[in-house]
Amino acid sequence: MKEKIIKKEQLGRWLEKLGKEYEIWAPVKKNGLVFFHPIKSAKEIYFNFLNSKKTPKDLFFPQSEVLFSFPKEEVEKEAETILPKSRIIFAIRPCDAKSLALLDQVFDSEDYRDPYYVERREGTLLVGMACTHPQTSCFCTSMRGGPFEKNCLDLLMVELGDDKYLVEAVTQTGKDLIGKDDPFEDAQGKDRERLAKVKKETEEKVKSKVVMEGLEEKLDKIFDSPFWDRIHQRCLGCAICTYLCSTCHCFALLDEKVNSGVQRVRSWDSCMFPGFTLEASGHNPRISNRERMRQRVMHKFNYFVKNFGETACVGCGRCIQNCPVNIDIREIIEEIKNE
Amino acid sequence: MKEDQIVATEKSEWKPRIIAFLCNWCSYAGADLAGISRLQYPPNVRVIRVPCSGRVNPYFIIKSLQHGVDGVLVSGCHPGDCHYISGNLVARRRFAILKRILEFVGIEKGRVQFSWISAAEGERFSQVIKEITEEIKTLGPNKKFVKEI
Amino acid sequence: MPENEKQLREVAEKLLIDKKVDLIIGYEKGTLPLRTRPTFIREPEETKRLVWNSRCENNLSFYLKTVKEKVGIVAKGCDSRSIVGLIKESQVKREDIFIIGVPCPGIIDKKKIEDILDGRELLEGVESDSQILLKAEGFEETLDQDKLLHASCRSCRHRNPVLYDTLMGKEISQPQTDEYSDVEEFASKQDNERWAYFNDETSRCIRCYACRNVCPACYCPQCFVDQSLPTWFDRTPHLSDTLIFHIIRTLHTAGRCVNCGACSRVCPMNVELRMLNKKTEKDVKELYGYEAGTDLEELPPMATFKIDDPQEFIK
Repeated sequence: MKEKIIKKEQLGRWLEKLGKEYEIWAPVKKNGLVFFHPIKSAKEIYFNFLNSKKTPKDLFFPQSEVLFSFPKEEVEKEAETILPKSRIIFAIRPCDAKSLALLDQVFDSEDYRDPYYVERREGTLLVGMACTHPQTSCFCTSMRGGPFEKNCLDLLMVELGDDKYLVEAVTQTGKDLIGKDDPFEDAQGKDRERLAKVKKETEEKVKSKVVMEGLEEKLDKIFDSPFWDRIHQRCLGCAICTYLCSTCHCFALLDEKVNSGVQRVRSWDSCMFPGFTLEASGHNPRISNRERMRQRVMHKFNYFVKNFGETACVGCGRCIQNCPVNIDIREIIEEIKNE
Repeated sequence: MKEDQIVATEKSEWKPRIIAFLCNWCSYAGADLAGISRLQYPPNVRVIRVPCSGRVNPYFIIKSLQHGVDGVLVSGCHPGDCHYISGNLVARRRFAILKRILEFVGIEKGRVQFSWISAAEGERFSQVIKEITEEIKTLGPNKKFVKEI
Repeated sequence: MPENEKQLREVAEKLLIDKKVDLIIGYEKGTLPLRTRPTFIREPEETKRLVWNSRCENNLSFYLKTVKEKVGIVAKGCDSRSIVGLIKESQVKREDIFIIGVPCPGIIDKKKIEDILDGRELLEGVESDSQILLKAEGFEETLDQDKLLHASCRSCRHRNPVLYDTLMGKEISQPQTDEYSDVEEFASKQDNERWAYFNDETSRCIRCYACRNVCPACYCPQCFVDQSLPTWFDRTPHLSDTLIFHIIRTLHTAGRCVNCGACSRVCPMNVELRMLNKKTEKDVKELYGYEAGTDLEELPPMATFKIDDPQEFIK
């Protein structure tokens, strides 16, 4: 499909049409926070955002979900009722979309397909919004991503000037979202030129660069180094970095009693919690923040690479922005290199 | 959620469920005395015996509300008479803060109550239960904090 | 304040050289604009990393729970009260710490800055006297620091540290504040309104436990939320459980919370936790005449009792 243009004032019309068939999730602002929420009209969308506070990962991997419940007579699987209506996530950033490719490695692999995740993933379309204002904490370009990346998206929208968006189809499904009667025009040569210019400017704005080469090998060597004693001191041991991370996916499976029986619930867990590796005997192999911080870094930049061939980080910078004591993963990587 | 277990939708069918934490040495004995003396009081109270009012963790009270009970009463010995000397005195401060914070959060005044009832006060025990049952009936079923457990 | 910073570095350096302490805990510049963060310094030459400005928002005293060495710690008014609390509860020995007190006129709230910037990223902040220049893309404005102060700083009654071994600069003036007006105003609302407010606030809570971990008063080896015998809480973040977590934490810190505001500052979801804590602080003061962290000798109010404690609420 050739690139298309849609004027900003026409966006509402298109979304309204899509809203008949899909549930549309878009960024809204409430209580000072931007997060993805189902919308009824384009007026509710907050376009001025850098990135949402929480990642859209909980639309695929919710903070807690009931896998199945057992009433006294039988075990019922509740996978069939997971996604009643197909969804579109509108204005998702390319880094968050790329994180889904990483989560797919875990939840939708050859060996194992998690039906809850897969159902949501297959029933959700992603309309991305390119970043034209990357933050100082963004380092997506160092993580094989970028502000205009199309990985996992169905459509990519780019804001061109104050009055219009350029729209590129990435998949056939994305292309099908644009109907003949929808208010789109073909992009002109000057639009494409402007696109190339904005893309280049934006990629240059991502000033934060993290050199990933050799990191995995280096980490293999410094597992027992006193380097880790320095790094962990500030850490609170809360779960902010893990819960707000686009790619973190650790969870706990628990059986919880309810009036009608028992539910097996899967909910987010964090490797930074002291109890994460607490064993029934009382032994805890990761007894202090030192081991837990080391584990987090190793998992993302070494173990995941060994298992799946990619770093489990998309450079969205949420951990850096939200850590209460400003622990900066870029700094840690730099120090690892210098060790 | 089974109808007969938690909150009934029709207020006229609803009967209040009240949990009473009674300290073994005074209030529970007082309740016993009420029973022996054949004093009538409403049957809506379920009693949980604790060694001392100081044993009552504020979370017991909140968890009761989560289970859907409509009112909670905690009763102990009069100050100075505690079998463990000072259990009720320490608890008194705890309850004061708890009551204030529950009311601040929006739990209706009167859902959570406290009393000092001694082993000789059987009549008073039945009176307190009558009063609290009436008050909870006026307040209606508890919908706050309720969680399917 | 720049003079305080210079003095701070000199004092810290001398402490390490004279081996009066093994470790200095203070603030250093962070990696984002207008961020500072806690730092741990063991070598005298590293003390030039120390900073002191209106963005030193962490309450460093919570590190005292885990540090085993002799420590020199930088403490603002509220931090010093937390330290008093920790000493009182035998979590740290007075002789093991050297308190470097700094008078503090208030800390700037970065959430207020985010509101003002409305979607733009802060690129630079320059402090001068009582003002601050904020720069973002297409935005440059100088504001009074007063307007950006954190809510807990607005109602602060202890700008000067209450306990210290040395003070940076001189004590600063302490204006009268009506600390509890927001609590009183809130309490005058209807039950259902207040209930709706708390449910709305806690619906955003993601149970990251940053508020608990950063609180100097929370030092239980096993927190009640992590207990499995009995399981007080399910791991699932039910709204009911989340609200109760905050209420119980307030109860556990009743009479010990110094209202430093660290809990609401670290919350990534902007949950306003202090309303509950302030209410309890007010109650403890009214009922038992006790203010947390001001007196080393006074027993914590919830660990003691008087025969004639108020009991009008008891039948």
